[in-house]
Amino acid sequence: MSVMKLSMGPQHPITGHFRFILDVDGDLVLKLEPDIGYTHRGIEKLAEKRTYLQNLPVIERVNSYCDSAGTMLGYLEAIEELMGLEVPERAKYLRVIAAELNRIASHLYAACLFSVATGLETMLMWPINDRELVLDLLEKLTGQRITYTYQTIGGVRFDMPEGFKEEALKRLDYLEKRTEDYYKMLLWNHTFHMRTKKVGILKPSDAIKLGVVGPNLRASGVKVDVRKDEPYEVYDKFDFSIPTGKNGDSYDRLEVRFKEVEQSINILRQALKDIPKGPIKKWAPPIVPKGEAYTRVEAARGEFGYYIVADGTMKPYRLKMSPPSFRNLIALPHLCKNVPLGDIPVIYISLDLIPMDVDR
Amino acid sequence: MIPILSFSEFIELILKVLIFPGLAFPLLFAMIVIWFERKFLARIMLRIGPLHVGPLNRTGLFQPIADFLKLIQKEIIVPDNAYKFLYNIAPIMASIVASMSVAFIPYAPKPDGGYWMIYYTPLSLLVILAIFTARPFIMVGAGWASNSKYCTIGALRAALQLLAYEVPITLSLASIVIMSGTFDLAKIVETQSSIWFIILQPIGFIVILIAMMAELSRRPFDIPLAEQEVVFGWPTEYTGTQFALVMVSEYFDLCAVTSLITVLFLGGWSGPVIPLLNDISPILSGVFWFFLKMAILTVIIIMGRGIYPRLRIDQLLDTGWTLLIPLAIIQIIITLLTAQWWLPLVRGA
Repeated sequence: MSVMKLSMGPQHPITGHFRFILDVDGDLVLKLEPDIGYTHRGIEKLAEKRTYLQNLPVIERVNSYCDSAGTMLGYLEAIEELMGLEVPERAKYLRVIAAELNRIASHLYAACLFSVATGLETMLMWPINDRELVLDLLEKLTGQRITYTYQTIGGVRFDMPEGFKEEALKRLDYLEKRTEDYYKMLLWNHTFHMRTKKVGILKPSDAIKLGVVGPNLRASGVKVDVRKDEPYEVYDKFDFSIPTGKNGDSYDRLEVRFKEVEQSINILRQALKDIPKGPIKKWAPPIVPKGEAYTRVEAARGEFGYYIVADGTMKPYRLKMSPPSFRNLIALPHLCKNVPLGDIPVIYISLDLIPMDVDR
Repeated sequence: MIPILSFSEFIELILKVLIFPGLAFPLLFAMIVIWFERKFLARIMLRIGPLHVGPLNRTGLFQPIADFLKLIQKEIIVPDNAYKFLYNIAPIMASIVASMSVAFIPYAPKPDGGYWMIYYTPLSLLVILAIFTARPFIMVGAGWASNSKYCTIGALRAALQLLAYEVPITLSLASIVIMSGTFDLAKIVETQSSIWFIILQPIGFIVILIAMMAELSRRPFDIPLAEQEVVFGWPTEYTGTQFALVMVSEYFDLCAVTSLITVLFLGGWSGPVIPLLNDISPILSGVFWFFLKMAILTVIIIMGRGIYPRLRIDQLLDTGWTLLIPLAIIQIIITLLTAQWWLPLVRGA
C-alpha cells in the first residue's frame, strides 16, 4: 500500500485543537507534522495594549483549565523584580498553596487524558472526580474553580478562609490514599504496561537537545526543576524531592506525574503548617519602572518563561512567553517516526500538551 | 414437498420465529444489554449513567429505545465518493447475519423430544461457524465502500484481527467436537448432562472467551473501532438508521456468541428444574438456566470495557498466535490423551 496522508484533527476524539498531518503506510506512521494555531488568541500582543494589572486575567487564560495559578506566578515575579517589590511572607505561602493545588489538579487531568488515549475509560472518571476535590479547595481559597486571578501584583487578593487548613489536610490525606487505586488501575496493570512501556522513548541527550522541559524531561532522567534550581517564592523552605524516570518512555512520563502529585501533597502539608501570620498584600504602584526582566517558574507542564520589557508606563512594551507545551511539542515529531498508528495518541497525550498553551 | 403443519405446530413456529429465539429476543437482548452496559460501566467509573427515560424512577431503563428513536429520525448521509450499493447494504447485512445464528441454537428441550430452536440441523455448529466468518467481511466491505481514510484503516484492522481470533476459535471448537463426537449443538448439550465441558476443558473455555471478545470487538480488542486512533473505525461514516443497525448488530452478535458459549461449555439449559416455571411450561425452566448463564458471560465480556486499556493490533496478533493458538492445541492434545478418563463421563457407559 502506498503512503497515505492522514489529517488527524482538529475534529478528532483525541487531538484536541491540534491537527496532525500523518504519513501513514498501512498501520505505520512514518512522519508526524503538527499543525498548530487553532486556538491562537494573540495574548502576547493583547498584553501590550492593557495595563499590567488588566493583564492578569488574560495571562491566566494561556493555560486556563489546567494550571492558571502556576502560570501566573512567572508574570508576577517578573513585574515584582522590575519594581523591586518585596511580597509579604504570608502572600508568598498562599501563592505557593494555590500553585501546588493547581499542579495536583493538572496532573490528575493529565492522568485521565492519558488513560483515555489507551482506551481505559474508568481512569478517565476517577481522577476527574478527585480533581473536583482539589478544585473545590481552590474555590474556597480563591472564589473560582479554574481561572482564579488570585495572585496579584504585590501579593494575593484574599486571605485563607476559616477552616480551610483542616479541610485541605483532610482532602490531601484522601488524595494520598486514592493514589494507591490509581497505581492499581494504571501503573500495575499489565495491559497498560503493554501499551505504554517502551513507547515513545525520549533519550536524555535528545530531550536536552530538543529543549524539552518539565515532567517530560524529568521522566527521561534529567533532574531539572526550577523550584529546586532557582527557588522562587518560598520553595527553598520546603523539603521535597524531584522524581525522575529511568527509561523516558510514555509510562515513565505518567509515573513521574503521579510522583509529583505526591510531592505536591508533601509541599502543601508543609506550607499549611508553616504559614506565618501577617499581611497578604503590599500596595504596588501601577507604573512599572523602565527595564527588562526574564523569570522562569515551574508550572505543572514544565518551565514557563516570561520576558517583559517595560518602558516606564502602565503597559508593558513587550511581553514574550515561553510556555512549556510549546517547548514539549517539539519532541512530538521526533518521537512519532515509524511508530504504529495506535501509539500516536499515547505518545501525544504522554507529553501532556495543551493547544491553548502552545498557541497562546 | 412442503410439509403441512398442524395448527399447534404453526403457532409454535410463529412463536419461535417472531418471539423467541427469533426476531424479538435479540432485539430485547440488545436493549437490555445496552442499558445494563451503560449502567454497569457507569457504576465502575463512579458515574450515574442514564437516569430519566423509562418507567422506573431514576433507572433510565428506556434509554436505548430513546437513542434508537433519535437515530432513526436522523438524515441518512451517504458520502459522495462512497460505493453506494455496498455502503447501503452493509448495515442491513450486518444485522441480518448477526441475528441469523440464533436460529441454530437450541435453547431448551421440549417435553415431546425435540428442541426449542428455529431450524434443527445435525451440523448446526458448522453452520454457526460459517455465519461468524461472514461478519469481518461485511466490516471490510463497509469500510472500503465508505471511501474514507479512517474507515479504510478500521476495515484493514478488522481484517487483520480476523487472523488473530479465527484460528483459536476453530481449534477450541475442534476439541469440543472431539469430546462430544458431534457437530449437533443439541447433542453437545446432551453430552454435558453429567459434567459441563468448562470443567473438562478449562483452557479451551478461556481461549474461546478471549477469542470471542476479539470477534465481538469488545474493549481490550476493540481495535477496529478504536475511537482515539481511527475515530470510529469502519462505521465512522454511517449516520441515523444505518448507524443504529450497525450498533444493534454488535449486540445481536453478542447474543449469538454468549448463546454459543453457553451451549458449548456451560451445559446449555441443564440445571435443576424450577417447579414454579416448570408448571407454566417445561421449556421455561431450561430457558431460565440458559439465560442465567448467558447473563454471566455477558457481564464478563462487558467488564473488559471497565478495566482494560485497548491493545495494539500487533499485540493482539501476538496474543492470538503465540498464546491462544498454542493453548488451543494443548487443549486438543490434553483432550486426546485423557480420552480414557472422560469418555465414560461424557458418552456414558
